[in-house]
Amino acid sequence: MRRFKHHVFRFATGACVVLACGVLVLIVLAIAMRGLPAISWQFFTEQIRLVGADGGIFYNLVGTFILIGTAFIVSAPIAVGLALVHGVYLRERRHRERLTLLLYLLNGVPSILFGLLGLIVFVKFFGLGKSWLSGGVLLGMLILPTVTIALIERIASLPGKYVEAAAGLGLTQSQIIWSVILPQSLSGLVTGSLLGLAHAAGETAPIMFTATIFAGATFPHAIKESPVLSLPYHIFILAQDSFDPAVGAKLWGTALTLLGLVLLLSLVALPLRLKIHEEAHHG
Amino acid sequence: MTTVAPAARSLAGNLPRRRWSATRSLSYGFSALAAGFVVVLAVLFVWQSIPAWRHEGLGFLPGKKWFYPQEQFGALAMIYGTVIVSLIALLLAAPIGIGAAIFSAEFIPRRLQLAVKVLIELLAGIPSVVYGLLGILFLRDWIYRALTPFDPLSGDTLLTAGILLAVMILPTVMTLCDDALRGVPSAQRQAARGLGLTQTEVVLSVCLPQAARGMVAAVLLALGRALGEAIAVFLVVGRQDNQWPANPFSLRPLIESGQTLTSKLASSETNIAYGDPLHWAAIVGLGLVLLAMTVTVTLVGTQLMRPREGHA
Amino acid sequence: MAESTDPFLGAKGVASHSTDVRFVLETRGLTVRAGGRDLLRAVNLSIAPQQVFGIIGPSGAGKSTLLKCLNRLIELTPGLRVSGDVRFHQESIYAANMDVDSLRARIGILFQQPVVFPKSILQNVIFGTRHLGKVPRKEWPDVAERALREAALWDEVKDRLRESALLLSVGQQQRLCLARTLAVDPEVILMDEPTSALDPKSTEAIEELILQFKQRRTIVLVTHNLAQARRVTDHVACIAVHDGAGQLIDCAPGDELLGDAQGDEVTAYFESRKRSKPEP
Repeated sequence: MRRFKHHVFRFATGACVVLACGVLVLIVLAIAMRGLPAISWQFFTEQIRLVGADGGIFYNLVGTFILIGTAFIVSAPIAVGLALVHGVYLRERRHRERLTLLLYLLNGVPSILFGLLGLIVFVKFFGLGKSWLSGGVLLGMLILPTVTIALIERIASLPGKYVEAAAGLGLTQSQIIWSVILPQSLSGLVTGSLLGLAHAAGETAPIMFTATIFAGATFPHAIKESPVLSLPYHIFILAQDSFDPAVGAKLWGTALTLLGLVLLLSLVALPLRLKIHEEAHHG
Repeated sequence: MTTVAPAARSLAGNLPRRRWSATRSLSYGFSALAAGFVVVLAVLFVWQSIPAWRHEGLGFLPGKKWFYPQEQFGALAMIYGTVIVSLIALLLAAPIGIGAAIFSAEFIPRRLQLAVKVLIELLAGIPSVVYGLLGILFLRDWIYRALTPFDPLSGDTLLTAGILLAVMILPTVMTLCDDALRGVPSAQRQAARGLGLTQTEVVLSVCLPQAARGMVAAVLLALGRALGEAIAVFLVVGRQDNQWPANPFSLRPLIESGQTLTSKLASSETNIAYGDPLHWAAIVGLGLVLLAMTVTVTLVGTQLMRPREGHA
Repeated sequence: MAESTDPFLGAKGVASHSTDVRFVLETRGLTVRAGGRDLLRAVNLSIAPQQVFGIIGPSGAGKSTLLKCLNRLIELTPGLRVSGDVRFHQESIYAANMDVDSLRARIGILFQQPVVFPKSILQNVIFGTRHLGKVPRKEWPDVAERALREAALWDEVKDRLRESALLLSVGQQQRLCLARTLAVDPEVILMDEPTSALDPKSTEAIEELILQFKQRRTIVLVTHNLAQARRVTDHVACIAVHDGAGQLIDCAPGDELLGDAQGDEVTAYFESRKRSKPEP
């Protein structure tokens, strides 16, 4: 009877895993099967024509890269600053806990509210109209918690002996930070950023009011009134009108490209994360 | 995201201090930017929605009608939609996610655990707009066909959005529950097995009670994600206003179209409202309600995940 | 006299009982491999019932590994391969129809660090019994009392059974773990250095209990303390690293093996033995 209960329980929980993993596999397969026919060199290098029914997604790719590039530039220094404050400058535990709480709260803010905030601040208040910079800043703040926490954990797992050796040699706090702590925690910044950018690349809500349009933009020429195209917004608009069969294949191709970009960014971070994990537990 | 234990060994203690340093100022400066962002977010949402609160008073929340041309702004139907959709997602994702986490943490060898972890993370990385696309092109039809005995108007329903959300938050539940289970010391599993308990009995009487807190936190954080998801929900929920049911406990609304706070915010009405101060204030008011809901849930969930004080 | 000769080391494992005594536990060629190396190699032991069987040896020799093989708890450690056989009442514990969980209820184990569940004292004591399902619920308090008395803990906790077990001292926790094991009523109790984390007074208490237990049960005691082995054991096996793996290098009644040992330190003991015995 006890053995029977064990087998039933194991089977039930195993079925859950199969279900969860199976859903993923099915999703990826569905997108791949429908999107692959559209993938070609021209797809990536041409721009959209006929409202998405023809042409390629070149400028969408450009726009997405500009957005996540800006997001990286915005989030990296702030993340480093926050991580240093958390790991080095704050001396009381409850201060550190409050900082961590702030990060978790920011992480829990829905991305649509970032978009709304961007509308208030950048479009309305600063009068920028739709601008790639607004999108980049918003995305940067969106992914800030992810990058910061990865960096904080990395710094926390650094062996103390290097810091002690440097202090023993008479280096100041700042010198130790720049010559020991930051170089050694670089991997944390890289993995956190890669994960964050993978997330940012797929986000639609923060940029749909503030930074991106469906057609008509190429490279941005200024900051004000300079929107960009983007992969997720392209999909978002076309998805609401997906009855045109000519659009169909291109739409799936765009989805596959976006998925591929996100997966690529996440997978690149993986070996580095495994290494960090190994070091933290067996270093 | 993983849980962060406060740095056990703050490097601050080891380092010699100086009166002023550029690095420290820069670090605090950047941190102030982040803090400022959060403050600005909260303040602006409150401030910009004031006209709406003044117009409707506290009736904004329980108001059942939203009809902006007549300057009627009641959020209740959308709050209802948000709650229902998130509840459906939780009811589906929580058991499966917990079950999968249990199997992954307790019943499979370490190398397979890693593979499952990677797979689930990839599932978590799929953008919401792609989920929305899949929802439109597949889920919508399936639901429509499944519901034919009930004579539905379309496949865009609260139920559709709920199911789609369930798949989206499943990885969150699974990863966080997995972390919670790993927090149980393996010495206890060994001791329990040594007494002759089966693996299932060990999971049920040793691991789950101790991981319970973390699992509740996992579910809460997943709830937070579900509450705030805009794009995927927007695409499949039907975007039908004023769907407040006569009987709030009936199941009928599930198979009808609805509106959530997020689907309204992501809609073109936000752009329309841009010009009119009252309408705009109402929209921001919806955002404020959403913010309050998600912050509360995230706060409780995060506090639950902290290690218990004074635990031996 | 039953003799077994280990051809590699030229030592003899001698059982000082008559040939018709049935051993309760035996190992035949027990080998444990991890990665490329052997942790234990070809260990042959015969443990007679109702005695205290000691396993001594320097740290890292594989004593704990050996102990955990006896109730198959070794299987919880990933990456280890066990070969050879272990017999419980002449039946292999690796038989296809062997219910491992019931086996572990009959061969209990006590660890070096007391592992107490974050529950009340009472819940800890009956933790094993309740899952075995053999004892009806209303008898659990009696079972708990009997076990706590047998572990000499009853008087200290009888008024606070509902309190958290985590509040007990380390010595009390170890006796609680003992009571928990006793509540399941095992024939054999494996003990992995049960007193090395305890103060002398608790150590003495546990040793007294061990001597009482052997009237009804068999104890297999791993210890690195020679004095303890001298005080408590009837028969002793020595495990030490030889040729890169833990091997049985001697097995004899306690006073025979330990009688002329100098001092308490096991390592010193083995050093002195190495010097006195010629290399094979």
